[in-house]
Amino acid sequence: MPKIACLWVPELSLVAALRAEPQLCGGPLAVVQAGADLGGRAHVLGATPAAEGVGPGQTLAEARALCPGLAVRQSSPERERAAAQAAREAALAVSPRVEEAAPGLVYVDASGLSSLFGDDRAVARELVAAAERVGVRVAVGLAASKSVARLAARAAATDLALEATSHGVGGGAFRVVGLEEQREFLAALPLHELELPDELHQSLRRFGLYTLGEVAVLPPGPLSARLGPEAALLSRLARGEDTSALQPRLEPDRFEEGEELEWDASSAEPLLFVWKALLDRLAQRLLARGLMAREVCLQLRLADASWDERTLDLAAPTREVPALLQLLRLSIEGRPPPAGVRAVRLAAVPVREVLEQMPLFGPRGASPTQLAAAVARLSALAGPHRVGSPRAPDRWAPFAAECGKFVPPPPPRVSPPPAGELQLAARALRPPRTAEVRCDEVGAPLLVIGEGALGGRVVASAGPWRTVAEWWTEGPIALDAWDLELAGGLLIRAARELHTGEWRIEAVYD
Amino acid sequence: MTLPARRLPRDLRALEELLRDGQVRRAPAFSPQAPQILPTGFAALDTALGGGLLRGQLHEIVGPPGSGGTALVRLALASATQAGENCALIDPGDAFDPAPCGIDLARLLWVRPADPVQALRAAEIALEARFGLVALDLGDVSVLPPPRAPKGVVRIVRFEKKPLSPGASPWARLKSRAEKHGGVLLLLARAPQAGTFATATIELERSHAQWDGRQGAPGRSLRAVQAAAAVARHKRMPPSGPLVLNLPLRPK
Repeated sequence: MPKIACLWVPELSLVAALRAEPQLCGGPLAVVQAGADLGGRAHVLGATPAAEGVGPGQTLAEARALCPGLAVRQSSPERERAAAQAAREAALAVSPRVEEAAPGLVYVDASGLSSLFGDDRAVARELVAAAERVGVRVAVGLAASKSVARLAARAAATDLALEATSHGVGGGAFRVVGLEEQREFLAALPLHELELPDELHQSLRRFGLYTLGEVAVLPPGPLSARLGPEAALLSRLARGEDTSALQPRLEPDRFEEGEELEWDASSAEPLLFVWKALLDRLAQRLLARGLMAREVCLQLRLADASWDERTLDLAAPTREVPALLQLLRLSIEGRPPPAGVRAVRLAAVPVREVLEQMPLFGPRGASPTQLAAAVARLSALAGPHRVGSPRAPDRWAPFAAECGKFVPPPPPRVSPPPAGELQLAARALRPPRTAEVRCDEVGAPLLVIGEGALGGRVVASAGPWRTVAEWWTEGPIALDAWDLELAGGLLIRAARELHTGEWRIEAVYD
Repeated sequence: MTLPARRLPRDLRALEELLRDGQVRRAPAFSPQAPQILPTGFAALDTALGGGLLRGQLHEIVGPPGSGGTALVRLALASATQAGENCALIDPGDAFDPAPCGIDLARLLWVRPADPVQALRAAEIALEARFGLVALDLGDVSVLPPPRAPKGVVRIVRFEKKPLSPGASPWARLKSRAEKHGGVLLLLARAPQAGTFATATIELERSHAQWDGRQGAPGRSLRAVQAAAAVARHKRMPPSGPLVLNLPLRPK
């Protein structure tokens, strides 16, 4: 028998607001429409229990009259989007087959989950807990079909509480409807709690029908003939006959969090506060799924309605908030946006966290997660392009080096014997230091006048070795290279540009 | 041998969390024979050091340019990476040449901080991340504070940007990080920096260069450099005699 769970976020706008500001959970708070005039005509979308008497549909003036100390927040599409995404990810953390029917309404295939979590109540409890881990309060219903699970979630919504957690808002509830109790559960449900068209609802009331149980006993054929196809659907729902299948979707390719600012931010400091909260929530969502951020995209909506988009290509996957925050700060300071910032959206491209079995008796190394975090911290310290695995570029360039991603392979099971050999190493000078070089009549260097210790009389030399390369590019290489031993023992590699005749010191041997 | 089952978390989820965070890795009580030495790859020097570089300790290589300090650091990195250790090279001078020399570059994290103070912080981060060998190359820079102004001289400076400070004792901090996390910190400098915080100080001295061919003749090339090394100070071993370093030049 299939088992479907419905994960529902009632009052999504209120939950999204409290997820961003959990400290408001205990006080009177009302959320009104986005962009509405706060003078009094705005309509309330949701309110906390502490705002006694305030409810959806009231105008703000009415709400303030009922509750003088009412705090008001405008609903934020960015926050609601993120909260709905978080609810979907919470469902994906429990079951791989998930269908998002609407923002904040997710169906989960719960078949077979009992072997992981226990009985049906344990599965429903796990869904509530998974949602609370990402800061979303949900009502969960679990039944044999989607429609009954949805009704069970609605029934559970009456038991919801409102609690501030470290990552958002909790106090979720669940209701499990077994097959044997399904008939009784449906029969007791009042029709006015269902989202029926007004016309149908009025007709049913005229017939004296007030509960689903009263609809279930009527013959479906005559009912649909009199009241239309919607009544036929209602009749099937009343009898628990729902054959609609779950339509699972693929996992999201990005995790997004967003925030709209009440003012135009024109410096980095206020943005840092906003980013910190967004990154905290992103990291919590990634952690809940066992994922890490491979790439972070920052989108800024500016005061002139344009978008400033930038991507942080991380040196290694991470979910370390301080390191990501530092990288964002470096990005915004390196290339400030041309206008004030009105809204911020952060998106993390996830990658599976690498779990590795550490050796019991070997040297204690770092886990891949620790390594990735360290690389991210180092990137934030030194700059993202100055940390990585070194490699020689795929072209001829003396002493050139590039930084690639640091992805060390797993350690070998048996260490090979060391095959290194002591040999003279070159210390590259980047960029090469210019120098004045006096030569004899055949062009051999006699005296080097360079910066600091990079100078002196030439005691011995070897060369020249002519190199002509990259002539097909805008930066051709044409030089004569020399190895020079200076008085005092310093050994350098110097080169003379063929086109300009300038000398430069490229490396010091050590 | 039986595991102390009562100490293990009974909840499978809790155990997974611990594994994910890297908190569960090994049982220290069962690994008294864990290797404590990281060989440098240069047999004579390893013997003088009592087997190699000690894990959890700070080692210092001091010598002028051309005496083979960079070559020794690269050899130690090659030896460690070939043994499967992840290594970090903190290179504020941006002087590393990735020419083949035996280093498994996939296991080497190359960090190029902008200044020596950043380099010290980077070394600290790398040690905390349990890199097996952290090489701090201060061959081109110095973290020693500038000489103090003579007493009695009053300088009036306004709106001067305060430079970053390496802290009161960066070497004490780095040494404690190495001890705590078990990595080797290998410092290359032109003059002694770490003082008594270094477990071993290897001093280098350049000798002479060897050339093939006559001066001015075609085909003449630099063949090798001769240098001398000595373990001048070691907290567990006696000072060594001079060790001859023959550093051949591989053609680039």
